[in-house]
Amino acid sequence: MIKRALALLLVLALGGLFASLMSAYAPDPELNPTARYYAEHTAQDLGAANLVTAIIVTYRGLDTLGEVTVLFLTAAIVGLVLAQSRRRIPHQPVPGGELLATGTRLLTPLILLLGVYVFVNGHLTPGGGFQGGAILASGVLLVLLADPVKPFSHGLISVIESLAGTLYVLIGLAGLALAGGFLDNRILPLGEFGQLFSAGAIPVIYSLIGLKVGAEFASMLASLSETEDL
Amino acid sequence: MIVQVALATGFVLILIGIYGALTQRNLLRMIVAFTVANSGVNLVIVAVGYLPGRTAPILDATVPAAEAAARIIDPVPQALVLTAIVIGLGVTALMLAFAYKLYEKRRSLDIARFSELKW
Amino acid sequence: MVSPILIIALGLGTAFLLGFLKDSQRGLAWLVTLAALAGMSGVSGTWLWALAEGTAQPMDVWTAGTPPPFAINLRMALPEAALTLLISLTGLLSALSLRDALLARGRRAMAVLLVISMALCGVVLTRDVFNLFVFFELIVIATGGLVLLSEDHRAVAAGFKYMVVAQFISIFLLLGIIFAYHATGSLNLDDMTHAGLLGHPVGAIAFFMLFIALVAELKPFPANGWALDIYESAHPGFSALFSAATGAAALFAVDKLLLVGGETWLPVATGIGLVTFVAANLLALPQTHDRRLLGYSSVAQTGLVLVVLGQRDILGDQTYYIAGGILLAHAVAKAGLYWLSGLVRERHLEAWAILRNSPLLVFAFATFLALLTGLPPFPGFYAKWDLIHLLAGEGRLWLLGLILLGALVESGYLFRWFGYIIKRQAPASESLEPNAWQVIPVLVAAAMSWALAWLWGDLSGHGNLLLVLPLIFALAFLFLDDLPAWLKNSLAIAGLLAWFGLTYELYDPLRLIFAAIFLPGGALVLLASYHAHGSRTGFYPSAMLMYAGLAMLILARTSFEFFAAWELLTIGSYFLILRGKESEPHALSYLLFSLGGAFLILAGFALAAQGQADMAMAALAQVAEPLAPWVFLLLAVGFMTKTAAIGLHIWLPGAHAEAETDVSPLVSGILLKAGLYGLFVLLMAMGSQTLYGLNLTHAMLWIGAITALVGNLLAVFQEDAKRLLAYSSIGQMGYALFGLAMMNHLGWLMALMFVINHYVYKSMLFLSVGGIAKRTGTRLMYRMGGLITLMPLSFIAVLIGIIAISGVPPLSGFGGRWIFYNAILDSEARLPIIILFLAGPIAFLYLFRLIHTIFLGQLKDELRQIREAPFWIVMPQMIFVAILLVVAVVPGLVLRRVDAYITQFFPQGALNWEGLTITSQYGWWNPVAIMIIVGVIFMSIFAWLLFVNRKAQKVKQFNIVFSAERPYRPETTHHAWNFFAPYRKALGFLTVPLVTLFWNGVTDTLHAGADFVRRFYTGNGQTYAFHFIIFVLAVWGLAMGARA
Repeated sequence: MIKRALALLLVLALGGLFASLMSAYAPDPELNPTARYYAEHTAQDLGAANLVTAIIVTYRGLDTLGEVTVLFLTAAIVGLVLAQSRRRIPHQPVPGGELLATGTRLLTPLILLLGVYVFVNGHLTPGGGFQGGAILASGVLLVLLADPVKPFSHGLISVIESLAGTLYVLIGLAGLALAGGFLDNRILPLGEFGQLFSAGAIPVIYSLIGLKVGAEFASMLASLSETEDL
Repeated sequence: MIVQVALATGFVLILIGIYGALTQRNLLRMIVAFTVANSGVNLVIVAVGYLPGRTAPILDATVPAAEAAARIIDPVPQALVLTAIVIGLGVTALMLAFAYKLYEKRRSLDIARFSELKW
Repeated sequence: MVSPILIIALGLGTAFLLGFLKDSQRGLAWLVTLAALAGMSGVSGTWLWALAEGTAQPMDVWTAGTPPPFAINLRMALPEAALTLLISLTGLLSALSLRDALLARGRRAMAVLLVISMALCGVVLTRDVFNLFVFFELIVIATGGLVLLSEDHRAVAAGFKYMVVAQFISIFLLLGIIFAYHATGSLNLDDMTHAGLLGHPVGAIAFFMLFIALVAELKPFPANGWALDIYESAHPGFSALFSAATGAAALFAVDKLLLVGGETWLPVATGIGLVTFVAANLLALPQTHDRRLLGYSSVAQTGLVLVVLGQRDILGDQTYYIAGGILLAHAVAKAGLYWLSGLVRERHLEAWAILRNSPLLVFAFATFLALLTGLPPFPGFYAKWDLIHLLAGEGRLWLLGLILLGALVESGYLFRWFGYIIKRQAPASESLEPNAWQVIPVLVAAAMSWALAWLWGDLSGHGNLLLVLPLIFALAFLFLDDLPAWLKNSLAIAGLLAWFGLTYELYDPLRLIFAAIFLPGGALVLLASYHAHGSRTGFYPSAMLMYAGLAMLILARTSFEFFAAWELLTIGSYFLILRGKESEPHALSYLLFSLGGAFLILAGFALAAQGQADMAMAALAQVAEPLAPWVFLLLAVGFMTKTAAIGLHIWLPGAHAEAETDVSPLVSGILLKAGLYGLFVLLMAMGSQTLYGLNLTHAMLWIGAITALVGNLLAVFQEDAKRLLAYSSIGQMGYALFGLAMMNHLGWLMALMFVINHYVYKSMLFLSVGGIAKRTGTRLMYRMGGLITLMPLSFIAVLIGIIAISGVPPLSGFGGRWIFYNAILDSEARLPIIILFLAGPIAFLYLFRLIHTIFLGQLKDELRQIREAPFWIVMPQMIFVAILLVVAVVPGLVLRRVDAYITQFFPQGALNWEGLTITSQYGWWNPVAIMIIVGVIFMSIFAWLLFVNRKAQKVKQFNIVFSAERPYRPETTHHAWNFFAPYRKALGFLTVPLVTLFWNGVTDTLHAGADFVRRFYTGNGQTYAFHFIIFVLAVWGLAMGARA
């Protein structure tokens, strides 16, 4: 009870802090210089129609590389944590049933296709590697649900994630060598604005991100599915 | 006005999350509390980037590059929030794995029971 | 130059690449990991070299080919290069230390290690605040993963607690980032500075949130329970990384942010750092778990660096030199200690005694300790010196005092631990199985420590201590430690004599006396060390370190040289004293009093220098009111700690009595003179000072008198012969102090006479008594007796010694007394003189006992077979006897020149030296005549006694029969036990150990307080979350309060 009261008190005090922040806050009437720069230069410098994508993949590409690494780390550590728990008691999950199995066969290719569409078009439309990767992983989840007993190929996933990750870093380094700096997308021609093959390396990078994110999620899901019920 | 509402909602979510994390002793509930707080943070981030009466920062026929600066909202917080979401997801997944591991050892999810290390 | 971005690309790319390897190729994966970390170190290393040499300029790295703030940029300058090198090297060495755990867990664990090293470098390099957040989150997640490498199952809980707090931190960090972006329109740190973040309406709160989130990564007190749990339970290889690399990166991040915040937030940083430093050190006191103790110490050191960063406003350009010195010293030492802890199986401090089996590891441990506590010649020493001087120059005395207090507490628990290693018994379950992968990182860290010592000395404005010849000579003995003891002894003696010959010209008459005692005098005492067999591991480096300090002390021209020498002799003598069988607690109390005294001296010098980094010792004379008396007070108390003045004396009896036979004369006969030398130098420069109407030299007069009385009185009641001599030293130092404090010509001459005499007879007596103790196997006098016939040479030495001490004619002690009586006739202070007179006869009581109980009376049965003490112990005694006789006959040999020298300070009252007669204004004294007269009287009485006692009947032993009664304490029936019981009845109230009780009370209170306070680390992750929120709100409240 005292704990709750103290917690409430602290939360109220924090609320006071936030309230003073809000009362001092006034929305910008115009774009600030950074945002204005992006609005004015992105199309002609990077050739990407989706400014958010341009920022994510190129201007703040280092953040995104870190972000991908976060998923990579999480997948690795979740694997590590759960590896020690695996395979103690033979594991007899209930199969998913005919309906789910058939549905899976129908839906999985479509889901995978949608995922690819989303990340390949990331520089033009809302969406991108993370969203596309998540969609890919949802396809994997469906497979796992339909047939839990099926041995899951960690090897394939591992190769995909390593390949995508390594290529991502190499493209970044290519930017350093061939263009203006690490992760510069102008190692490839910018192409015609608004087309699929445009914006230099952005679609390539976003595809790699999509693959990698999909692989990481799939790996995490697989690790989780291999743990037993406690 | 809508900015203020969004900000206030975000802050309230954060406070709810913090309160939950401080008072719930169950590991899973604590994790849920953090996801609530994270949503609040993400909401605040997006709200800060919002400019009244403008549109999404994607250039196309309706928003030509020349008018972009006057028509779009700030794209930076949108980019940041994506990163924040992904990182939040990573941390949440990790915390869940840890909670699983702790439960496996103790058959308990009460955080007060994991206090052998102290002083 | 290769792009710094390669550090990140290499770490990350390799982490991804590891996935191509099969799970079975773990050995290969490990090698690839090592190669990547080595490559990262290589990139940082080349940058560091090029930047330091000036062949490269600091560089801003753009990413995406776009200028900041529109794209993320990194910066590589000198601090960044040094820190990234530190991080990747720590990662590399930890990968060695973690080898078994990594191979057991496979490539995923290795990838995590690579990512954390990369992310830590990223935190250091990036100039973008959101990028900073991303790297921090990578660190959080990777930490969670690496904690799992531990064998300790509790580590999982620790990891969870960490992530709970990390979630709170990231909430504040993100809110801070977005509002700072709103305020300045930029995420770039440099831009934020230019845009004036704090000037914006939301700027202050945004900055606060950023600041508090980054500071929380430093594990500030009290929001740090999670960190301690990680330190306690994680694999030591990871804890090394967590302490050294994570701490360094987080500190640098805070520093970058503080540059945005400007001067407004510096005091807040200082406050948090200071509270953390002091509190964490205090809480470490009652710790018995080694890794948790190191955790507290890490937290404390990080706090100290934060204090330095918070003092940027006055440290200016020096900030990085000072902060870097402390930080690198801490990082290397802490990492080394954590790696070392991997070699010890049990987790309590005593278990570390197993390291004793390997001198190399003990040396590494001692190096790390010296590095952590900021002893010369390590970087922390230079940093501490400059820091304290700058603080004193700006009058930030509270800060100065608290920093020194925290440092003293820290030395306390660290050196206590060292004592355990040298003295305690390792548990039976321990065995030292040096595994190359765990030993290599330790040795590399030790080598790095010395490299840093060199570097910081090289960069310092005071000269490199590692280039000072005596110190080099002392350190050389580390490499010769396997040689036989006699060879090293000869080298040591030759070295002392050669140095004396080399520097002979440089001393004025006063310094010459001290030099003669320290150098040839030291060589003379070292003769006794020829008795030792084997290689006597550790003795010579310690002894020569002390001699190096002494040699440097008398040549010191500046306060820095003086202080460095002072610390060296302190640490060398501590190692020496610790060698005694039962000396563990006494060595510790010696060290703590000495370091406490040294800190007072440091504060005194700093106050006197008034913002200068250094000053000539002679410039002490120019210190003006109102500072001068305070400087005087600090320095005088500091020096009096070394001379064991009353109140500060409790370390001496144990330290001197428990030391080895040939160490006691070193630390008593020679080392005590260092304190007197300091007092001489002080009084020569500053003279009398008055504080609040109290004449400080007058106070010293009183202290000297009381010390003489109490020292002598306590000596009377000792059963242990070496303790008796030790207390006697306290009394003797009281006399010398008194003489100095008289501030007249004869007083000083008398003090000098005591300096010489005390060296001669105390060295001699400690050797004789030590030799006797060696033969009889006891130091308790009542268990001896009748040794006159078996150990005649020792008897002669003791006899001559006590005649000399007691100041009766004809020996040199009389000369001292004579000068003393003349001196007090010159003085106004009557009452202390009476006390001093009282002390005289008391001295006679204990001296009588020494000769009576040991040599006269009946021989004990079990001692019938013993022989004279070993030759090499007796030989120097005989030389001392000869010296005493020569000085007794021709005291002018040494004193004349000094007399003339003192005249420049006190023209009045010089003695007149004509032929063999010495004349003062009150009378004259002819030593030769006195010698003859006393000799004739003695011989006559002796002959008469022989004549009348020729028929004396010998008393048979035990001819007092107890009718079958066995006394409960047999020694009570011995007449020599509690010999002076009647006097104890009369004067015993003076011997109640009030001072000991007082100091025990102080330490007990500290311990009990710390033990109570640390209970608020309940171990519950949720409680830690409360701590964090409370911490945030408290800092906010205080920061706002301070501004309003």
